[in-house]
Amino acid sequence: MTKYLLKRLLHGLVSIVIVVAIVMVLIYSLLNRALIFSNDMTYQKQQNNAKISYSFRKWQEYGYLDYVTFADYMNGLVRKGELDAETRDEAISIGRKPENDSEITAEYVEKFTKEYESKGFTVERYNAVTSRKKLASGGQQILFAHRDRPLIQRLITYFSSIVTIDTIHYVDEGTDIGERGLTFTTHDPLYGGKKFAPAIIGNGTRHKYLMYFDNQFPFFHQNLITISLGKSYSLNNGVDVLETMLNSQGSYVTRPITFPTGLKEDSADDLHTATYTEGSREVSQVLMDRFEDDYTNVTTRKNGMSKIGYSFSIGILATCLAYLLGVPIGIFMARHKEGLVDKIGTVYIVFIMAVPSLAYIFLFKAIGGSIGLPTTFDMNSTSRLMYLLPIISLALPSAANLMKWLRRYMIDQMNSDYVKFARSGGLSENEIFFKHIFKNAAIPIVHGIPGALLGALTGAIITERVYVVPGTGDFLTRAINANDNGVIVGLTMWYALLSVVAIILGDILMAIVDPRISFTDENR
Amino acid sequence: MKSELTNVSSLGVPEQELFSLVTHSDEESEKITAPRYSYWQSVFRVFFKKKINIIILGLLAVIILFAYVYPSLISYDRYANLADAQSKHLMPLDAMQKFGFNLHWILGAGAAGDPTFDTIWVGSRISISLALICALINMTIGILLGAVWGFSKKMDAIMMEIYNIVANVPYILLISVLVLVLSASFWTMVFALTVTGWLGIAYSIRVQVIIIRDREYNLASKCLGTPITRIALRNILPFLTSFIVTLAAAEIPSYISYEVFLSYIGIGLSDMSLGKLIYEAEPAMLTNGWQFEFWSPVVVASIITVVLYVAGQNLGDASDPRTHM
Repeated sequence: MTKYLLKRLLHGLVSIVIVVAIVMVLIYSLLNRALIFSNDMTYQKQQNNAKISYSFRKWQEYGYLDYVTFADYMNGLVRKGELDAETRDEAISIGRKPENDSEITAEYVEKFTKEYESKGFTVERYNAVTSRKKLASGGQQILFAHRDRPLIQRLITYFSSIVTIDTIHYVDEGTDIGERGLTFTTHDPLYGGKKFAPAIIGNGTRHKYLMYFDNQFPFFHQNLITISLGKSYSLNNGVDVLETMLNSQGSYVTRPITFPTGLKEDSADDLHTATYTEGSREVSQVLMDRFEDDYTNVTTRKNGMSKIGYSFSIGILATCLAYLLGVPIGIFMARHKEGLVDKIGTVYIVFIMAVPSLAYIFLFKAIGGSIGLPTTFDMNSTSRLMYLLPIISLALPSAANLMKWLRRYMIDQMNSDYVKFARSGGLSENEIFFKHIFKNAAIPIVHGIPGALLGALTGAIITERVYVVPGTGDFLTRAINANDNGVIVGLTMWYALLSVVAIILGDILMAIVDPRISFTDENR
Repeated sequence: MKSELTNVSSLGVPEQELFSLVTHSDEESEKITAPRYSYWQSVFRVFFKKKINIIILGLLAVIILFAYVYPSLISYDRYANLADAQSKHLMPLDAMQKFGFNLHWILGAGAAGDPTFDTIWVGSRISISLALICALINMTIGILLGAVWGFSKKMDAIMMEIYNIVANVPYILLISVLVLVLSASFWTMVFALTVTGWLGIAYSIRVQVIIIRDREYNLASKCLGTPITRIALRNILPFLTSFIVTLAAAEIPSYISYEVFLSYIGIGLSDMSLGKLIYEAEPAMLTNGWQFEFWSPVVVASIITVVLYVAGQNLGDASDPRTHM
């Protein structure tokens, strides 16, 4: 069984890779790459050549291409020791036009061109843009080489950067940050060093606290292994998809904290999440007052749940409600076929199946609103009532679906021979229904349970939009509208992973419920 | 057990009437006496036996008339009253007071001062056409490929892989990329909905084909040397008619719903479809007195989908030979 499941999982992972590859082709190759700047204010302010080099820099950052400027090349030569700094300074500035290049510059420009063209790069040179002999804004002449990143390389980079393990070599080796290493302490300095709280603190790592305890669920946290699905560009600049989905939202929760310098202040900062940003402390007086090192980048505590938190809590409750409603009603409908409940239930199923989901969600909203339930979600409200309508709107349609299938499966089973046999054996109708028919009819239903539970993580697009729930439901559509490639790839990968896992879990659950189903090769 | 036997003499009928001698005729005995059975005749007989189906068909006729004939009879200009501030967001009664009592204003006026009733039917034509064309394309490809998929083991292995992969590519992403690449026109939408849409249909046809492929009558047919194509077309396809009709009944309204959904999240047609209408009227839902222009397209869309769905489901039931008794 384990072997079979491992095979299935591996198979699933291969299809995930292919799915990610297809999505990459869709968004990197088919879509116009200038679209990613549609919401970028910095881009719109740039002019002339500066705009060109800005867009190439961004394209490199977001994985479209490899981009090397002439200056990068020259600095690289110095680093490799093939060139001394003086020659570099002499040769690095290119002329406004190729004719104006000094002799030594021209020599290196030619070398640069030759080297990169042989690697398959395209070398481009833009002459200075001048107006009345003066440089126009952003009109500085530029010379660079670029090459579109091949799909395979992009895939490898993406998948190899999903899991990162923090090491003490994260901070650039040239930077002096004192002794690098990990320290284990039983008394976390953030609690004043008096309370017993084990922690591992790193120096030279990305995160300062690699493992620690605090008063937030699940109390033990680690930063050693970070999972990143893809960096956002326009939606949540520079932040990873998973982090965007997991970070709490709402308004800040301040409480008195003591910063490493001893400064006491009311703040929402969560000092355990400190990460390294080189040179960040010196540029800000506020950070100078608070921190003793460059581990200054902290997240804040907010009073709301994360995107996934909202989606999942609504989704899971809706799933439970759907099963609580759908299963008994479905059984009742099959048991009393052609009865009143069956007829009403069938009309309801037809309604849900045929009517556009948008229409009935608005109907639920209108009905709920007219009896006084809150129709919009407010993160700062303490009322639990606002969860009610989204949960109902999600639960009622899926209950209809459950009713439909359970009824059909049970009616199909009712005509089988084993039921006739059980009846002729003198079993009561209740016994036949619950001990025999239901057990058999429930098998395909059971298969869908893991899918329903994991599906709650992805959120519901329309429901969340209609009730303004700050969940994950509209994350993908917003990413598509904002051309946020990193988020699109990350979310696709995340959804594909969930669906692969859900199907495998469904099969396992089915095998547990039904002893006839076996995954060992001999019995299949 | 109670005896069901009746004594003939107790009926009080003369014996000649009960029994009479029939002479043997070679000619008569050659005739097959089973009642004449025509499949499609029986389908329609069963279908029209239910009174509700006649009502549903009547409604369907009205919908098609309004969606396809009505817009070509009126001169519809959405922005004809754009300059007239008094004509916007009117309730039916106010609109009829302003423009006179006629069919156009029966549902009030919309955000551009347009008659909501006319706008809805112009939009319905686009939505219904989209649904019908997509369903036609997807069903054709799906049924043909599904039948082959069910028969060929080699193809099954390949197609299952493709199915597993394509099912995991987010549908919204695919459609929006295609819309962005090709422009948001009607035919782009058709392409986007059919480029992978047939896979689901082909998959369910494949399952059905596999179920009946190895039944005894097909094995017997195969042993007698019937070619595979004939088995597929003559032995299996008739068996699937009911299934296909039921599937189509669910498919057609689902494209209307899908179009509404896509328009609502902002990836849709540029034409004035039902979905786009609902999307644009959404803010009106929250404004007192304007709700009418939001609810009318929603209700019309729901009526269209329900009528199509119920008509199809009942036709599917009627096309199942087991109901022809």
